[in-house]
Amino acid sequence: MNKKQIGITLGIMCLILTFGVTLQIRTMNSASSTASQTLADNELRDSVLKWKEKYDNISEELKRAEKVLEGVRQTATQDNVTASAKEEELKKNQTMLGLTDVKGSGIVIELQDGKLDNSFLTIAEPSKVLVHYEDLLSLVNELRNSGAEAIQINGQRIVNTSAITCEGTVIKINGERIGSPFTIKAIGSQALLYGQITREGSYLNTMKDTGVDVVSVTQEDEITIEKYTGTMNFKYIKSVK
Amino acid sequence: MIIVAIILGCIVGALIGMNSPIIPYTYSGYLAIAIIAALDSVFGGISSILNKNFDLKIFVSGFFGNAILSILLTYLGQKLNVDIYLAAIVVFVGRMFNNLAIIRRYYLEKFVKYRNSQNKKKEQINTDK
Repeated sequence: MNKKQIGITLGIMCLILTFGVTLQIRTMNSASSTASQTLADNELRDSVLKWKEKYDNISEELKRAEKVLEGVRQTATQDNVTASAKEEELKKNQTMLGLTDVKGSGIVIELQDGKLDNSFLTIAEPSKVLVHYEDLLSLVNELRNSGAEAIQINGQRIVNTSAITCEGTVIKINGERIGSPFTIKAIGSQALLYGQITREGSYLNTMKDTGVDVVSVTQEDEITIEKYTGTMNFKYIKSVK
Repeated sequence: MIIVAIILGCIVGALIGMNSPIIPYTYSGYLAIAIIAALDSVFGGISSILNKNFDLKIFVSGFFGNAILSILLTYLGQKLNVDIYLAAIVVFVGRMFNNLAIIRRYYLEKFVKYRNSQNKKKEQINTDK
């Protein structure tokens, strides 16, 4: 074997070796980012909990501050007619936005995920017996359409910034997880709401047909709906004069 | 000539490695063990050059044969649920240290000899004066 051959063989071997080394380094670099994902997940969960605690503390503080503000406002408007009129309007606006606890007559719908039985429907499409976020959206839509003034699902007030979303296996409203069973409270005209919800071919009845367990639809004279607990910030909209 | 070929091979290999698609994580273990085996052969080759019994055929067959054999053993170990790759790593890295020790000793002795001869020359010069 002459020197040329030796050089070529050694060169090829070095090529293979360095190729393998660089490839391996790059693979490990990308793999370490996926392998540490669970760790990152845990850390994220921890920080979420921490932030939640902080949030709770701050919302507590907010509540206290609001009470103080209310007191100040009352004393300030006690002997001022225009100011008290403004106070009235402020209260009205807040009620409309869903920032106050309200009560009134309306209906309460209770429904939960249906059970799988051996009927043809549930075997054909087992996920149909579950309550999906689209179902809640459609129900809310129907309630609004029949004049509901305040709606609450499992303690989450539906306000004009609310979103009902699907996060894998849970439904989120206002960013809070909710799950079966669902209690939907709506304040409005009892007769109208009840009639609309229980009419032939209504969305609720369609759900019942597909296997969702609709426990009850009741008319109640005094329903209390709590206020929206989140904050509403408007960054982009400005009123046109 | 040989050194040029080696350097060229290293550079081209690194370039290809940088631009090639990465392999799935499951197979990276096999590649790693093959790299260790190849590195072991390289150090073995260097030490055999120093011992003046270097044979290119043995070197090449060791380079590829060890790499492939270690991959196969690792695969077998995975099938049998025995960490055979650990044994391969122990053997290869152990041999690597041995060969490195041989290389180090060789150059150390060379260095010491060189210094001694230097000193002797100086002494000679001194005595000549």
